[in-house]
Amino acid sequence: MIFLAEGMAKAALGRYWRKSPDLRAKQLLSWRRSAVIAAGERPLPCGLLPRSPLSPFLLVTRGLGAEFRVPSPALHWVPGGCGSLAWAGAEAQGTDPRAPARPLLARTPARPRLANCARGADKRPVRHARSLDLSCSSTRLGAPLFRLPALLTLGPPPMEEEQAYLELYLDQCAAQDDLAPPRSLLLSPVVPDDGYIPNTSNSETVFNSHLEEVKASGHFSSVDLSFLPDELTQENKDQSVIRSKQDIEENCETPGQQSRMLLPREQDVGLGLISGSTLLNSHSQVYPGDADPVQPSPEKPNCTPLMSITPMTPVTPVSECSGIVPQLQNIVSTVNLACKLDLKKIALHAKNAEYNPKRFAAVIMRIREPRTTALIFSSGKMVCTGAKSEEQSRLAARKYARVVQKLGFPARFLDFKIQNMVGSCDVRFPIRLEGLVLTHQQFSSYEPELFPGLIYRMVKPRIVLLIFVSGKVVLTGAKERSEIYEAFENIYPILKGFKKA
Amino acid sequence: MPGGGQCPDCGSTELVEDSHYSQSQLVCSDCGCVVTEGVLTTTFSDEGNLREVTYSRSTGENDGVSRSQQRGLRRVRDLCRVLQLPSTFEDTAVAYYQQAYRHSGIRAARLQKKEVLVGCCVLITCRQHNWPLTMGTICTLLYADLDVFSGTYMQIVKLLGLDVPSLCLADLVKTYCSSFKLFQASPSVPATYVEDKEKMMSRTLQLVELADETWLVTGRHPLPVITAAAFLAWQSLQPSHRLACSLARFCKVANVELPCPAPSRLQELVAVLLRMAEQLAWLRVLQLDKRSVVKHIGDLLQHRHTLVRKAFRDGPEGLEAGEEEEPREQCQGPGQGKEVARSPFGLPAGKRLAGPALLLPPCMLKPPKRVCPPPPVSTVTGDENISDSEIEQYLRTPQEVKDFEKAQAAREAAKSVSNPDVQAGQG
Repeated sequence: MIFLAEGMAKAALGRYWRKSPDLRAKQLLSWRRSAVIAAGERPLPCGLLPRSPLSPFLLVTRGLGAEFRVPSPALHWVPGGCGSLAWAGAEAQGTDPRAPARPLLARTPARPRLANCARGADKRPVRHARSLDLSCSSTRLGAPLFRLPALLTLGPPPMEEEQAYLELYLDQCAAQDDLAPPRSLLLSPVVPDDGYIPNTSNSETVFNSHLEEVKASGHFSSVDLSFLPDELTQENKDQSVIRSKQDIEENCETPGQQSRMLLPREQDVGLGLISGSTLLNSHSQVYPGDADPVQPSPEKPNCTPLMSITPMTPVTPVSECSGIVPQLQNIVSTVNLACKLDLKKIALHAKNAEYNPKRFAAVIMRIREPRTTALIFSSGKMVCTGAKSEEQSRLAARKYARVVQKLGFPARFLDFKIQNMVGSCDVRFPIRLEGLVLTHQQFSSYEPELFPGLIYRMVKPRIVLLIFVSGKVVLTGAKERSEIYEAFENIYPILKGFKKA
Repeated sequence: MPGGGQCPDCGSTELVEDSHYSQSQLVCSDCGCVVTEGVLTTTFSDEGNLREVTYSRSTGENDGVSRSQQRGLRRVRDLCRVLQLPSTFEDTAVAYYQQAYRHSGIRAARLQKKEVLVGCCVLITCRQHNWPLTMGTICTLLYADLDVFSGTYMQIVKLLGLDVPSLCLADLVKTYCSSFKLFQASPSVPATYVEDKEKMMSRTLQLVELADETWLVTGRHPLPVITAAAFLAWQSLQPSHRLACSLARFCKVANVELPCPAPSRLQELVAVLLRMAEQLAWLRVLQLDKRSVVKHIGDLLQHRHTLVRKAFRDGPEGLEAGEEEEPREQCQGPGQGKEVARSPFGLPAGKRLAGPALLLPPCMLKPPKRVCPPPPVSTVTGDENISDSEIEQYLRTPQEVKDFEKAQAAREAAKSVSNPDVQAGQG
């Protein structure tokens, strides 16, 4: 498989972007068509040539050493898809302050179409996942589809058509050459230097934790492939995988499915992130139609920085996403210890317990690390509060169970469930609550005589938000992290509308 | 069964008193034959005793209604009459109460809650008709706690799925101002304190609008803002005699309760007025402070829209825009006018901030009390090993257990000694 240097990929893209929107649409369609036709037939001489529905992104991916984080192309195949490229470019833009303004990418009209792309609740996490979507699908496919070429070679395009594409791509890459260096894409945070880096890094740490989990969980063979359609044959498998991914991505446009998708993607992300080579390999797996998976580019060593930071390319342009990530402040979870407890004995033998039966019929126990409080009832049920993340809540609950075990009860750890998650964030501008309650009357309740904040009951996802005049927002009622992110992404455009009196 | 009547048709003795509209009739329950009718009192016994029967007892309207609900409905009507609400409000409030009573949660609620529910229904009715009634007023009338009231109010709004509009600020200003006892001279109100109602009300309204525009009203209880605005308006109408009067004294003279946040609202409002005063050339030279600015409130209010726009900016870019606008602005007033370019560096005293201030709610202008450090990156998986030592640190050693038990026993003994009567009662 030919793997073009990054410059060429950028040139091709540059040419692409210089077209008018309808020409771009035609271009993409033709790429897609040719990709579909040629899928799985033979190795492509030119890695740029679109042999898969994902080709424009592939171009960029390949060209930029597969460090380019690309959202699932299947999502917005037609002009919308370009938007993500634009975004990716813009991301680079955002990160490199030295680079001059890049009107070519920034002003693409395709971008607005991304408004209908999946704005999941877990937009941030999903970015991680999506950008490595190539890896995601690949890991799902499992080892057998994994084909790694040994060399990176350039060869003459076998067909006339392909030549034209190659030229186009080369032009684009040449145009893009002045743009941000590819490496910066990798290292760039999504948000252009707005001071929200800590937030993004926080979301990444969440991912890191997921990564480790996935790492532990292990082999590709254990991955569930049941989502694949039944009529798969080996040759078509790749293609259908891509298509099914397409469907999945499209389905993901409804936020409701985000959470479902999140976990597998995160797993994939984890797998992808663990090693740079895996990352590139997986890229190649996504486009088996090209018949030769991507060869790890010379930039491969630079993939390792990926592990340390950067959020992934969001599907929407910077201007549309808020760039703010709500911080989780409290997690409430319950677990069943499955044995009757003697609360008096627990209160007697445990230093960190308090028990006042006249006031409340449970033992209140506290541990220092993670800093949490638990209510332990005589029936054996326990409520754990105060953790700042799901994993911490689980660890804390296990510690409480262990304490109860050590006190001599046959405690188990059944049905651990997160019941509520509370997050908060700051939009940094004042909000006209009176205006908001007028326009969103059916959802909001604003009684300044009772409470200074506006209580917004979002229907989808079912989250309650407390919105204050200073711009601080508290989100509660979530069972999953993605719901909080989704709710905030839903409310942010509404709040922006009330920014100015 | 009164008397020993027999139905002429079927001969049964099962005669029932039934009221047909306001006419009471004796009806046979077997065949339905109307035995007697047109009795002017509801029951024979009453008629016999020459007692008048009230309307509500003579009609069937309360037949299906429980006694507590009847009581509640009566309370609703009484409250509406006390507040002197139009009669239509009464019917609406009663309807809401009945609607609420259909829910089992309300039926089973405590009496205190049902009492508060009366106030909630009246409040909702008033809000929907834009009648300015604050929750504080209702709580005072019902002798209820604001917490209980708020809980019941939120519950009932959600339960009935009602759309309750916000409190209308302008109407509240008018109502509240009218309640001030400053419009006629009396032994408690000196002559210099008496004020014309219309003038004071219009000026208060303008000040409240100004406060609303400059983020002093959002998120806060409206009444303290109105009190502060009324005070400023009253002072500014005759500053020479009234500047010496404090807010607390003003409220006492006006026979109005001083709300707790009113002094801080007053300070915020005065700060806004001072900022606006800086934009007027002839006021800038006077170097006003928070007392002297009161004298010029009339001027400031006259041009409040322009002044607010110039005095405040939404962001850094507003600074340049404000500077540009200035030379083009028409400013009524004597003296230099706009030739005195307002250079931020040319201000005489270093007291005032150079350049327009940010137009933000006071909570955003104050420095944060404590800076929240970004949470540390945590790499917890939730499935880590828990070391025994970590758990042991939370357990008491056997010696400690014994000590603790001894201490507890001692405490119990001490408590029982101090409560001998309790012990005697138990013994």
